[in-house]
Amino acid sequence: MPYSEKLTPELTNMPKRPKILLVDDSPLILMVIGQALEKEGFISRKAGNVEEAMTALENEIPDLILSDYQMPGTDGFAFRQHLMTIPEYKNIPFMFLTSVTDHAHMIAGISLDAIDYIDKDTPIVVIISKINNFLNSIRERHEHTIRELSSAAIALNLYSVPQEIPRINSFEIDFWHKSFENYPGGDFIDVLTINNRYTFIILGDVMGKKWGAWFFSFGYLSYIRAAVRICVSEGDVSTKSIMQKINSVIYHDPIVSDVLSTLSLVRIDPENETLSYTGAGDLPLLYFSSRENKLNRISSSGLLLGISKEGGFDEHLFTMLPGDQLIMITDGLIDKETPAGKKTDLNSFIDEIEKYLGKTNSFATLKHDGFLNEKAREQIDDCSLIFIQKKQLNDITNTSA
Amino acid sequence: MILQTHLLNNALIADILLKEANLGNAEQFKSELMSLINKGNKYVIVNFEQVIYVDSSFLGALVSALKLAMNSGGDIAVVGLNNDIRSLFQLVRLDKVFRIYTNTQEALTGA
Repeated sequence: MPYSEKLTPELTNMPKRPKILLVDDSPLILMVIGQALEKEGFISRKAGNVEEAMTALENEIPDLILSDYQMPGTDGFAFRQHLMTIPEYKNIPFMFLTSVTDHAHMIAGISLDAIDYIDKDTPIVVIISKINNFLNSIRERHEHTIRELSSAAIALNLYSVPQEIPRINSFEIDFWHKSFENYPGGDFIDVLTINNRYTFIILGDVMGKKWGAWFFSFGYLSYIRAAVRICVSEGDVSTKSIMQKINSVIYHDPIVSDVLSTLSLVRIDPENETLSYTGAGDLPLLYFSSRENKLNRISSSGLLLGISKEGGFDEHLFTMLPGDQLIMITDGLIDKETPAGKKTDLNSFIDEIEKYLGKTNSFATLKHDGFLNEKAREQIDDCSLIFIQKKQLNDITNTSA
Repeated sequence: MILQTHLLNNALIADILLKEANLGNAEQFKSELMSLINKGNKYVIVNFEQVIYVDSSFLGALVSALKLAMNSGGDIAVVGLNNDIRSLFQLVRLDKVFRIYTNTQEALTGA
């Protein structure tokens, strides 16, 4: 996986600060434990009774609930029992922190699937160690599962990004892909050369969550590869026809039609030096013209795959001149953190990337000077970029020599 | 709970109670919206007024719900998009898929 930075643990973002929901009728306990937790890097949310705790849960699911037993109104046991009946809440780790510590209560508490029953007289450092130990063991188990699943996928030869990019004489093609928190995601990339002539470049994004999206990305990729080969063997190399075929299969297939995907499909024909592009709900291609020294967009009209029977696809035909560059991206890259909150902003992405383009080593610089990793760090989705460059004439001679 | 609903004329207004509509809440949004459709609400107006940011997973959930609605003879309209979200809809051509209105009132008269 040359340029794919998938599943490499050292690239994991900083661990998130765990959120703890404290439930206690004593404002003093809430304050003291809350401050101690914050000091240790936790985020604490406070609720003075069970009703407040339920409201807090509606807004946000914490990593752990630390609750008193004896409270006016609903007590801690009833709270726990209630949570166990709600699918979204029943798996949130739950600890009791109480001064009612006779054996009968402790056993009753633990038997409610609580992970611990802690005496309020326990020093705060010990309480925090218990929380830390528990969350660490959860995280380790989680990472272990991800590793197991990933190695199983690799053993089965399931990749949603290519292992190697075919070489085309007058073009340079490369890609960059980064998964979100090392989960395989919904982005898929492929480059296939057919009949020793046409090269098809595929970039898609299955809209969905982590493993689910990743699983469906294979389904999509298989359909797309099959459609490309069938169309070409039938003599139809139009990206629009291929897209229509893919869309129609997906639209009628009950299994994948529920899962939506974008797709950018580019065909390079080195024989007459033309490119053809059709898109489905995708972001525009970014085309850097070396002659104009300017970055332009090529926007397609197609809808997301599988939404409608026809899809409204169009086809753009163009020729790249030596030094021209073409960039395909998925939406993971164009989100931006601003003081007013997050926003999706293609324009600023274009402004920022433009200065890297038009150089012989544009792609290497994008990758190595941190621009792409910096972008990926801000995201909560996987990110992909495909880079295509028409080689300068002397480069071509050099490569074939 | 992500959606707060009330009936107005023939439509069900569903206000999204989120600032960031993303991967983390897309599944829940989808199941809430789908259950509203399965309960027989034909015309649902999804109100984005409180939403600042939407990601593609969340849009995917919205489109899945639209497909369900259309299969049962219903429709989903979208209102209250801020400028950024409106351009995102246009960017990925979802403006051709959903009926988009400025506000609920407009959606009701357009219905």
